[in-house]
Amino acid sequence: MKIQRLMMPLLLVVLVVALALPTVALGQKGANANRAISIDGSTTVGPIAKAFKDYYERSHPGVNITVSESGSGNGAKSLRNGVCDIAIMSRCMKAGEFKAAGEAGFQPVAHVVALDAIAVIVHPANPISELSMTQLKDIYSGKITNWRQLGGPNMDIVVIGRETNSGTFASFQELVMGGGNVKSDSESVGSNGAARQRVQSTKAAIAYVGLGFVDRKVKALSINGVEASPETVQSGDYPIARPLYMFTNGFPKLGTDLHRFATLHLTEKGQEIVESIGFVPVTRYK
Amino acid sequence: MNLASRRMMDRSFTVLGILSILVMAGALLCLLGPIVIRGVNAFVFRATVEHRQMLAEKYGVGDREAVKRELAQAEQHRTKIYRMISAYEASLEDESYAMRREMGGELDELKDRLRDLLGPFPGDPDPILMREQYGETRWDRALVVKDEVIFREEYDYSDPSAMGVLVHVPRADTFEGTSLAPLFPYLENHLSDILRPRWTFYWRFFTTESYDAHFFGGIWPEILGTFYLTVGAILFAVPFGVISAIYLVEYANPKNPLVALIRTCISTLAGVPSIVFGLFGLAFFINELHVSESKSVLAGSLTLAVLILPLVIRAAEEAIRAVPKTYKEAALSLGAGRWRTICTVILPAAMPGVLTGIVISMGRAAGETAPIIFTAAVSAGGVVALGETLSQPTPALPWNIYNICSEHEAVNEIRHVQYGMVFTLVFLVLLLNSTAIWLRARIAKRLRGA
Amino acid sequence: MSTEVTPFKRRSLTISRSASTRMRISGLFGHGLLLLITSSSALLIIFIFYYIIREALPFFKIRGFVEFFTQNAWHPVGNPEEFGALAIFFGSGMVTLGSIIFAVPIGVVAAACLSDILPFSLRQLTKPIIEILAAIPSVAFGFFALVVLAPLMQNHGGLILGGSVWVVGLPLLFLASWIGAEFLATRIDGKNLPTTRWTLRLVLSVGGLLALWYVAGIFGQMRVTSGTNALNVSLVLGIMALPTIVSVSEDALQSVRRELREGAYALGATRAETMMWVVFPAARSGITAAIILGVMRAIGETMVVWMAAGGAEQIPTPWYNFLEPVSTLTATIAGEMGEADHVTGSARYHVLFCMALVLLTISFVFNFISDRIIGKGGLAKGKSA
Repeated sequence: MKIQRLMMPLLLVVLVVALALPTVALGQKGANANRAISIDGSTTVGPIAKAFKDYYERSHPGVNITVSESGSGNGAKSLRNGVCDIAIMSRCMKAGEFKAAGEAGFQPVAHVVALDAIAVIVHPANPISELSMTQLKDIYSGKITNWRQLGGPNMDIVVIGRETNSGTFASFQELVMGGGNVKSDSESVGSNGAARQRVQSTKAAIAYVGLGFVDRKVKALSINGVEASPETVQSGDYPIARPLYMFTNGFPKLGTDLHRFATLHLTEKGQEIVESIGFVPVTRYK
Repeated sequence: MNLASRRMMDRSFTVLGILSILVMAGALLCLLGPIVIRGVNAFVFRATVEHRQMLAEKYGVGDREAVKRELAQAEQHRTKIYRMISAYEASLEDESYAMRREMGGELDELKDRLRDLLGPFPGDPDPILMREQYGETRWDRALVVKDEVIFREEYDYSDPSAMGVLVHVPRADTFEGTSLAPLFPYLENHLSDILRPRWTFYWRFFTTESYDAHFFGGIWPEILGTFYLTVGAILFAVPFGVISAIYLVEYANPKNPLVALIRTCISTLAGVPSIVFGLFGLAFFINELHVSESKSVLAGSLTLAVLILPLVIRAAEEAIRAVPKTYKEAALSLGAGRWRTICTVILPAAMPGVLTGIVISMGRAAGETAPIIFTAAVSAGGVVALGETLSQPTPALPWNIYNICSEHEAVNEIRHVQYGMVFTLVFLVLLLNSTAIWLRARIAKRLRGA
Repeated sequence: MSTEVTPFKRRSLTISRSASTRMRISGLFGHGLLLLITSSSALLIIFIFYYIIREALPFFKIRGFVEFFTQNAWHPVGNPEEFGALAIFFGSGMVTLGSIIFAVPIGVVAAACLSDILPFSLRQLTKPIIEILAAIPSVAFGFFALVVLAPLMQNHGGLILGGSVWVVGLPLLFLASWIGAEFLATRIDGKNLPTTRWTLRLVLSVGGLLALWYVAGIFGQMRVTSGTNALNVSLVLGIMALPTIVSVSEDALQSVRRELREGAYALGATRAETMMWVVFPAARSGITAAIILGVMRAIGETMVVWMAAGGAEQIPTPWYNFLEPVSTLTATIAGEMGEADHVTGSARYHVLFCMALVLLTISFVFNFISDRIIGKGGLAKGKSA
């Protein structure tokens, strides 16, 4: 049959390609595949982890690092299951998570890699440049719905929140909302980048993002008269700030790649990285 | 109704029908147009000298000497800019404190924008992030950044009852009368000398790993991950699918209630929303069976295999049914057993049809995102070797498209990579599907000929 | 095999008894093995149900049924925690409804055009459009909705809405005034004179144009605050559901017997009349199945809604406001799973499985119905032999 004669070469081609691709992959990898560090957790700490990964892989060739941004809770779970070496989290582990890890024979150790302020951002066209904590809370709980109520133009406020799965949401909930809930008709977006994007494209919008995500296209508001900046975060004046964590199982064995990676934020280079992607270093040598 | 009206109605019915088909075609065009045009732009674009320098330094490709020569030529034009700036800085020293403070801020802002365009100034410490080590690598982005150098975006809040209005203030106004004023026209006129754009076919986009979270480099790990997941899913689904199809066509008694139940189950499986497969994969393959400790290519492949199994069964069933009865009867009358008939006569004859089904299912598996979110995909990772597929998660095209267009920290700056990824995925899937269409056409031709 | 056959012949034609038994046993064994493999593929769906239910039940134990199905305050990490998923159900229903409103008329008319109007060669040309639309991965649709469609809608929302009112309204208005005039003219003078007809047509179309102008004006004034909204998602989901609807209803239309069509033509009906009064009613059940399959495609879609629906767990005000952001079951599952506390088995983790269970049940029921329709009466009543 003609078809079958055609099929055979086709099958052969598919087979050859199927075998060739992984071989290429093997060739690229080399023998150091076992020097791997896997990281899982928050999208907020993701940029730090990815920048660290990039720096570390360049300065220590042969180390393979994967970063999986699947949420803080997933990070804690992966650490407990022993499948990631580092859980990056934008909140501290909860008691239940510590307990579960302990029962599974793990001992989570927290490394605070950076400080992060949650900046409240609006479109630069918005004349408002300052809010008080109460006003902010009122906006998010639905008591204030128009910019006019805050002395701005007569436009309905488009409230952008974050998906409840993010650590940023949890921190915002805790630091700003206190006892109340965010109103349910607020839009929620999946990430800091998306929140900034929404504000950039919507003049009446307000959103909250990690300080590292504030750029020229959006305006960060002062809260209670305090501007969001590395200095005010470090001094503790800016009210909506929090530490960002990396959790390892026990303190990593000294001298291993994991140890060097988990303490990278304490080195000068590490601080520089943290700073250059917009977060606030924990310590300052300068 | 009179005849003319009825004819009119008939015509308009035809027109409506053709219109709705045109709407479909239009929707397809609107969808594929931007994806193809801007997707191709991800790897065919005007690359600046910064791009060539980055390639030479980080990937070790290209003619180093030529790049150096080109850089030297570009440098001639750049030094003029740098000189203007340092001259102005020097002249600021003599100004009053207030003036120094005011203009210093403006100058710093200008320098930052220039760094975006040209990379670090001579004498700057080497930036730690790769995205800051080079200027704009793409000419289209460079034109955007150039506008940011030349104009300052300001908002006019004079009307308190409305939002501010965007005004582009030329920076040249700010620095009017100073030694910096000629910088702006110079930059405008000599930008192509400074960045030396050249049309480039950047095929390494498909074969290299990315640097600095997709700011530079390519999407090879994602392509490979998609490949692993797809092939893995096919490896698991095809044996089960084809055997089930053989059973359902050749052995099963259609009146048997068990068989009817099996059929219902399979068709239900086909209708399950893909996100539910994801949850099932997490709960069953990872949490229950522990095929791997956490996300892995294996778990993802298995989940995708469950998803495409009904497709494979259905396609194989149809293909086997389409084999003419006479083939089977001839084989049986020659004394071949049932199993032998199936293996030597029916399956080979049904092979093209089965293959078509497999190829279409591959397309489906390659494009599915929801099932691999919880079972296989990571947002940043390198190439996974074949041996690690049992335990390691992998980046994959569909998930990383989602990730870099809605979770990445610099969504706007890497738009071209997003389009490139979408283009690659759509291209791969359509390639698989057109293979299937081609196969089917061959079968149709053969059947007509027979 | 009769007993009179000589031993010599028997050897040549049959195999020994023991070999025959062996073959029969191995045949049975093989049959059993095949059945086993086949039923294991079927068992998967039962596994899926089992695991989803097992993870979903603890939620109902913790929080009961009432809140989940009847409240619409969704604050899984709030203080206090609230798990009212009504608004999320509503969002799922809303975008599905929107996509169906968009896709069903276009899909069914396109199917009619494909099956009865276009010549074979043109039909072969249009087939790839449907196949390509069906093949494009959902994440590409999501990307399109988020990156291309959403900014367009946000920046030129009024223009687009007003424009589409004109584009959709004009041909419909033309048709309606034509039919209406026809109908009224017969009513008024019983003779249906051309002059009456044309006057009526003129009056109706001018009136209609004014109405259209007014409506388009209202739509044109609308401000779209968010490009990622229910309308955006509905449109894209509609495009995704089109291929399913077109191909299934085309099958249904084609399986309507030729005799029915020929009979109608013989009675002097035009093609449109034949389609409207004979073919569509005959293919009714098949078209219903097509719509159900389209609904399933829309309701189970994750990536598009996750990326472009805006993710607000609310029932818009008013409820038919498609320009508001909404959230759906699938998007909520995909978005929340990462953070939900797997370890301690919180209500927040299990509630997602409850949502999956609802989705699973819906798809099971719909699938069952469409299977019944397609499997039993065939796609159409007058199915050809």
